[in-house]
Amino acid sequence: METWAVEAREICKRFPGVQALDHASVAVAPGSCHALMGENGAGKSTLGKILSGIYEPDSGTIQLEGRPVRFSNPMQATQAGISIVHQELLFCENMTVGENLCLEDMPNRRGWVDWGEMRRRAKAWLDAIGADVDPEATVGALPISLQQMVQIAGAIGRGAKVLIFDEPTSSLTQRETETLFDQIRRLTAQGVACIYVSHRMDEIFEICDSVTVLRDGKTVGTRPTQGLTRDELVRMMIGRNIDTASVRAIGTHPDGVLLRVQGLSSPPRFADVSFEVRAGEVVGFAGLVGAGRSEVAQAIFGLDPKATGRVWVGDAEATRRTPASMMRLGVGLVPEDRKRQGLVLGMTARENISLPSLPRLSKAGFIDREREYELARRFFDAMAVKAPHVDAPSAGLSGGNQQKLVMAKWLAADCRVLILDEPTRGVDVGTKSEIHHMIRRLAAEGRAVVVISSELPELLTVSDRILAMRNGRIAGELPADTATEEALLRLMTGVETAVSA
Amino acid sequence: MRRALSVILGSQQFGLVAVILLLGTILTLFGGSHEDRATGQMVNNFLNPQTLMQVATFASFFAIMAVGMTMVIITTGIDLSVGSTYALSGVLTAMALSKMYPIVTQPAPGAVWVAMGLCLGIGLAAGLLNGFLITALGVHPFIITLGTMWIFRGVAFVLSNALSILVPTSLTQFAKAPLGFAQGVTPVPVIAMLIVAVAGWLFLTRSVTGRRIFAVGGNLTASQYSGVPIKRILVIVYAVSGLTAGIAAFLAMSYFGSAQSADAQGYELYVIASAVVGGASLAGGKGSAISAMLGALLISLIQQAIRTLKINQEYEWIIIGCAIIIAVVLDRVSARVGSARLTQGRI
Repeated sequence: METWAVEAREICKRFPGVQALDHASVAVAPGSCHALMGENGAGKSTLGKILSGIYEPDSGTIQLEGRPVRFSNPMQATQAGISIVHQELLFCENMTVGENLCLEDMPNRRGWVDWGEMRRRAKAWLDAIGADVDPEATVGALPISLQQMVQIAGAIGRGAKVLIFDEPTSSLTQRETETLFDQIRRLTAQGVACIYVSHRMDEIFEICDSVTVLRDGKTVGTRPTQGLTRDELVRMMIGRNIDTASVRAIGTHPDGVLLRVQGLSSPPRFADVSFEVRAGEVVGFAGLVGAGRSEVAQAIFGLDPKATGRVWVGDAEATRRTPASMMRLGVGLVPEDRKRQGLVLGMTARENISLPSLPRLSKAGFIDREREYELARRFFDAMAVKAPHVDAPSAGLSGGNQQKLVMAKWLAADCRVLILDEPTRGVDVGTKSEIHHMIRRLAAEGRAVVVISSELPELLTVSDRILAMRNGRIAGELPADTATEEALLRLMTGVETAVSA
Repeated sequence: MRRALSVILGSQQFGLVAVILLLGTILTLFGGSHEDRATGQMVNNFLNPQTLMQVATFASFFAIMAVGMTMVIITTGIDLSVGSTYALSGVLTAMALSKMYPIVTQPAPGAVWVAMGLCLGIGLAAGLLNGFLITALGVHPFIITLGTMWIFRGVAFVLSNALSILVPTSLTQFAKAPLGFAQGVTPVPVIAMLIVAVAGWLFLTRSVTGRRIFAVGGNLTASQYSGVPIKRILVIVYAVSGLTAGIAAFLAMSYFGSAQSADAQGYELYVIASAVVGGASLAGGKGSAISAMLGALLISLIQQAIRTLKINQEYEWIIIGCAIIIAVVLDRVSARVGSARLTQGRI
């Protein structure tokens, strides 16, 4: 049998309180692209980090081209020929491309930097992967996609035979993603083994030859992607089928208009956005990244002082919009970035849930602690947040539970209108389904719910109607029952022929 | 019993109190004793009412400001102008008093209340000015308060011609009232310190504004998304910081009997040190009013230790500098141990 480019066998890794990897194994052939898949917390990123020397395994072996290796830091892995392209790119952003590429081994003459040699080396490395990047450019000024190319150039230049991509497309546009895929194809053609860590199914099928699925730190199995169906892959990941039928089964009964937006504009981000959401209705917002959906949500919620246009909540017009005034009218926004916009991570679950409701919970400026606990407990339980108790620090919760916490916070604030921006981003499949049920139930209870999502199946599952945005304008509307991904994509991209997702 | 013990051991203040008690024990044991001239009894050089009260009194002037500073630091801000605000409030108040009561030794009914109102009002106004400048101009508080630090002191300097201004003796009688304590013990500034620390603690932990101060420091963006009035919160913390400088100025001016523009020069660093030794994090979202007071007491105690143990006075700055760094590093280590415990409870 041929030698694997890299093989990890029976890897175990324990973090405080969690067995991240439990005898996990993966083997990758030279010149192939191999996917590592699994839900959040399944251990795929941990395995990638062990292979690249960021973590040391507790037990298990790693073989590189048949020889056993052991790394205690990323430098050793790089020298042996395994490099990682991070989801969060690690650069000195204030320095140039050339300086970053030569950071660990600055060409010098008696301690003085040899700029000419540095430029030459950086240029050679960038040319080797066909990346059109100026070695003199400041890294921080480059778009993420080019920063990624610099990282790849550095890895290949240092002689990588195995390249690990950890969620590489999470902040790339469609076009940039395609460029990255071309790059990966070129690398595999040259015999480099690529490991692709992701939970984006389309990408796995497009770029990878084979896939290893992890669940709860264990290897579920390895399959060639050819002949594998999505349903099979999902079953491998979660150990069961996801059911969308039970989500749709939660009936909603649209009533009077609760949120009315007319001619909302904030050039250059979006212009002339008008729509209505009725009580008891879920309205989905589809659109490509940059279409202006989140910006519209922020403008409605009073976070964009430059926005013009009119907004009514029920019968009341929201004239001077600020988050505080919109909250008083009963509007809540669950923002897309829960760590940055949604939660104060240094505070407990209780303190986060009560934050918008404090004026309601206080007497003479002082918080009524009993009422605060009562409110926090009620919505903590209603959202089924999995934490030891309401005073658990929110920083220690998993992504899905943090998301539930943000939703609990806005439910506690007694919102009639709830805007959810990417409510399931980075949330594992099980929790995702829970959140979908929750969204339908919130509307069934008489709230007006707006859901912004980049995942079309999600919108089709939870919405009653779907609005598609394109270049800052509403491009069209489809009822969710008859809409298809293809029809939505056409509206989102503005082309007549369907573009594959 | 066990539970009570674990609450005490786990509390934020335990480490500081332990260090203060340890240092106090060392001073009692190694400080020696002297003969009291009046009674002929031997008295411990450290453990006697007068010395203890002196340590606490010196601490009280910057401990009170450290309570305000803690609130500022929790929001990731800094107030470098507190020493100058103190000098400005003292000088302006003393000047007004000297107009109203030209002869300082004459009985001056109501002078205490006039002085208190003026000092607190001027301190509050200076703090509000800082707050408005920071929120309106969007300039980092370090820069704004660095500027007002010079401006406030400069105003005090120009208006007073750098002269020391005496205040009515009735103020001193108020600040040095024995209140029935032991001979030579004047507890008023210390009582004021305790009141301010407890009030600050209640405000930070129980009030809506207090909770919002922590939220703004913990995550500004998330606070904004939760409808927290960010600018109002920031103005409030700088106003409170200025107010505490006014309180300290009133007490010190009354206690010492005079005010001048050079008062409290460099005090801002003692105040910041007290807050930081008390566990306030410059990264924001963390701090305690009670701990800030304990931090001030510890610094004052270190100064006393140098006198009691007859260490060369020249070493004072070196010792205090080391103490600040050690305190903060220890705090970081204990926080890391604590967070490791948190992750074990992770779900």
